Amino acid sequence: MMIPAINWSLVSLEVLMAITLVSLVAVDIALPKNVKKDWIGTLSFFALFGLIIFWSTQGDLRGVTFSGMFVMDSLAWFFKAFFLIAMVFVFAMTKEFFKSLGERRNEFYLLLWLALIGMCFVASSADFLLLFISIEILTISLYVMTAYLKSDKLSIEAGMKYLILGSLASGFLLYGISFLYGTTHSTHFDVIQSFCQTHAMSSMTLFALVLILAAVGFKIAAVPFHMWVADVYQGAPTPVTALLSVGSKAAGFIVLIRLFFGVFAAWHFEWSLVLAILSAITMTFGNLVAMFQKNIKRLLGYSSISHAGYLLMGAAAGSALGISGMNFYLLGYLFTNLAAFLVIILFSIAVKSDEIADYAGLSQRSSLLACTMLLALVSLAGMPPLAGFFGKFILLMAVIKAKYVWLALIAGVNIVISLYYYLMVAKRIYVDAPHSSTPIPVSAGMRLLLVVAIFGIIAIGIFQGPFLDAAMTAVNGMYLAHP
Amino acid sequence: MITPHLSWILLLPLLGLGLVCLVPSAKTVLIRRISKVAVLAPFILSVWVFAAYNHLAGGFQFVVNVPWVVPFGISYHLGVDGINSLMLLLLGAISFAAVLISGSITERVKTYYILLLITIIGTYGAFLSLDIFFFYFFHEVAAVPVFLMIAIWGSERREFAAMKLTLFLVAGAAIALIGLLALYLSTGLQTFDLVAIQQQLVNHPLPVHVQSWIFPLIVLGFGITLTLWPFYTWAPVGYAEAPTAISMLHAGVLKKMGAYAIIRFAIQLMPQAAHAWMPIIAGLAIINIIYCGIVALTQRDLKYILGYSSCSHMGYILLGLACFNTIGLNGVVYLMFAHGIMAALAFALTGFVADQTKTRNLDELGGIIKCMPFIGTCFMMAAFASAGVPGFANFVAEILVLLGAWDQYRLFTILAVLGLVITAIYMLKAIRLGFQGPLNPRFAQLVDAQTLSAKFPYVILMALLIFVGCWPTVILTHIGSSTKTIVESIQ
Repeated sequence: MMIPAINWSLVSLEVLMAITLVSLVAVDIALPKNVKKDWIGTLSFFALFGLIIFWSTQGDLRGVTFSGMFVMDSLAWFFKAFFLIAMVFVFAMTKEFFKSLGERRNEFYLLLWLALIGMCFVASSADFLLLFISIEILTISLYVMTAYLKSDKLSIEAGMKYLILGSLASGFLLYGISFLYGTTHSTHFDVIQSFCQTHAMSSMTLFALVLILAAVGFKIAAVPFHMWVADVYQGAPTPVTALLSVGSKAAGFIVLIRLFFGVFAAWHFEWSLVLAILSAITMTFGNLVAMFQKNIKRLLGYSSISHAGYLLMGAAAGSALGISGMNFYLLGYLFTNLAAFLVIILFSIAVKSDEIADYAGLSQRSSLLACTMLLALVSLAGMPPLAGFFGKFILLMAVIKAKYVWLALIAGVNIVISLYYYLMVAKRIYVDAPHSSTPIPVSAGMRLLLVVAIFGIIAIGIFQGPFLDAAMTAVNGMYLAHP
Repeated sequence: MITPHLSWILLLPLLGLGLVCLVPSAKTVLIRRISKVAVLAPFILSVWVFAAYNHLAGGFQFVVNVPWVVPFGISYHLGVDGINSLMLLLLGAISFAAVLISGSITERVKTYYILLLITIIGTYGAFLSLDIFFFYFFHEVAAVPVFLMIAIWGSERREFAAMKLTLFLVAGAAIALIGLLALYLSTGLQTFDLVAIQQQLVNHPLPVHVQSWIFPLIVLGFGITLTLWPFYTWAPVGYAEAPTAISMLHAGVLKKMGAYAIIRFAIQLMPQAAHAWMPIIAGLAIINIIYCGIVALTQRDLKYILGYSSCSHMGYILLGLACFNTIGLNGVVYLMFAHGIMAALAFALTGFVADQTKTRNLDELGGIIKCMPFIGTCFMMAAFASAGVPGFANFVAEILVLLGAWDQYRLFTILAVLGLVITAIYMLKAIRLGFQGPLNPRFAQLVDAQTLSAKFPYVILMALLIFVGCWPTVILTHIGSSTKTIVESIQ
């Protein structure tokens, strides 16, 4: 049997991550049981920064390996960089969040690394088998992390819910892949793509696509596959919620881009209306329900559903512009949403609450936390000069260009609805009187991270050029076997 | 000759904003001082720009153009013509006055000035931008700071008012954005540059069926900002509950951005659609004038009267926009300026009174001109200006609009004159009940604005109102140089 040649340089990031993970496991075993210091977390940080520096030098990495199962292109580079940056925040949140948990926190870091590896493989998948496996790596580590707080009922419930619905989605995905295999005789993206270009959609492939879309819809939290979101967001440890809302969602979107902009691009005409309707329903549902939330994590859960809806506009437009818009939007969303979750973690550690009512008068207890939260909320609502605005701007442009003016109008209505509930939270923070006047302490490291997040939100919002270039390069250099 | 560099109008207040952010919040005196300088500097620059603008040459002058987002053709493009140089002057005067009268704010001073400066910078940016993207960008910057300012420092129903105002304005902005994006895409130029789009569309206008759906989106969107009937309901309550500085800025300048945008992006760029749609808008404008005027008659709260009055007077601006002749358009721009100054003055005076008496209800006030002769007199003059008494800027502006409208809309013009009578009635009623008559003994201890520095903000606005009213040529030559080209391109 001949083993095909493997270009190891293309998988260098994943290999380095795997090495890190294994060494961290070794360190964990070697460490004495009752060490107070958070060694694994500190080492993880150094490793992550090393990887980010390494990755920033690898911008030109292009190629296909593992018999075409693994593709390394500009899109993969962009999203892997995205995941790495997101992970900096998530690791920092974890360090802060698990200060009280002692020894059990080490395994949590290892699970985070596993999730990161899963996401990076998702970004490079060019075969349904690899795609399925990497999604499972990501999702299974998320199941465990969601139910990590053993003594917390909500956390267990969240883990259970996520597991059941997630398994269902995995089942859909597999079922869809099997139908696709039945028609095209391959799991390979290249082969399926050329099949799509030469064949019209049949009832078999239609069925397969619906199932796959359902599985992806589960990942990105699109209506009607969103049922898990609120409870899981609320119950999961907050760093996991942050990871779910940014990393896992972005992983879903890269699959969407690869499938509906690459593999099934030939059938886009049939699909774009479905995606447009999905987008409209998703954003409207998410925003309408978010208005009535009392818990900040649930509120951001529903708001993340609505953001999936906005992002789907780019997929509905189906153009390079739309996809660039999605990339840009996700970049802004990364800093914005992680800033919000950072505040939520610091607040909940000090106040032991995630209820919006308890946020009253936050501005008088910590001006930095209040200011970060305000900027994050306003950016989520899509107001200039913050990151969220330009993303919505590009997506609106893309859908109008694709002649979906009705979708743009629905998005406009949604922006107003979302502004309402974001401003209600801002009002609590800035206008209402505080329940207690004790200041909320923020450590120096966290201050730095908050400032970085604020800086990101404002810089992306004002100096859109370089970020837009990155988002567009990612799309233009995307690997397509049969363009 | 040294010419002014327009970027400084943005950068200097931005610098001031940065400094205010760095000063510890306990040092309120320093914060106030920095803020005053930060708005005085762009005011002086605006006066300079206005004076240095060469109206014989016309067109856009002092242009700054830096490519910003190249793939979309977005550029940081600043420049002034006769219209926005006047708007800068308006904003300069009102923002300076608004910061000066903010001395009565004593809670959370730092946050207050930060938000106020952001609002002012955003508005300057919108009026300076010759790029559609940046106009929209700057115009939206003010939305959230205004929300917070009303919600934190407003009066009784502040939270409701803040939310209502913000949601209406953002809804309008979202509709307008869709229109602007559609406009951008239909020109096929791949640029948001207003000048480039203007040149293209003069020679190759958009197909009529495209114009006819983009135009109403833009006019409706910005019409909400301009309190077009029936989308005006955010304004009276918003202005009434807002802190004085925001009432002044919003009624004086921010809502004028709506009219400015309609002139620049809708009427000038899509003249065919404008001719089809504007008569309908003129009809709504008359409802604005009459309906809001009658509602103002029934109000007892001084700020609500001013709020409805402001909505009512926007009708003249909308009517003037529907004329398509130079006189009418000159009147519109003139009125944007005159009404802005008048409204800011009236709101500032009302704020002064309400701060001391703790009430704005006409039934409780009474005779306060006896202990506040300066404030009372100023208010009477503002009221006369509002009713179109000759000698004040509003008279010139309203006459121009009415002359412009007479040829096409006889009935509307007659009704619009009736609107001036209504204005006179409610303004005189406000003066009689609030300022004259027997003095309520509760208010015997009231103190007038005594020092020169306390009187200064009102004096600036009053002086502008009278100066421009008595010497209209100063600004008519400016306006005329720009409106002429616009009217030529739309007729």
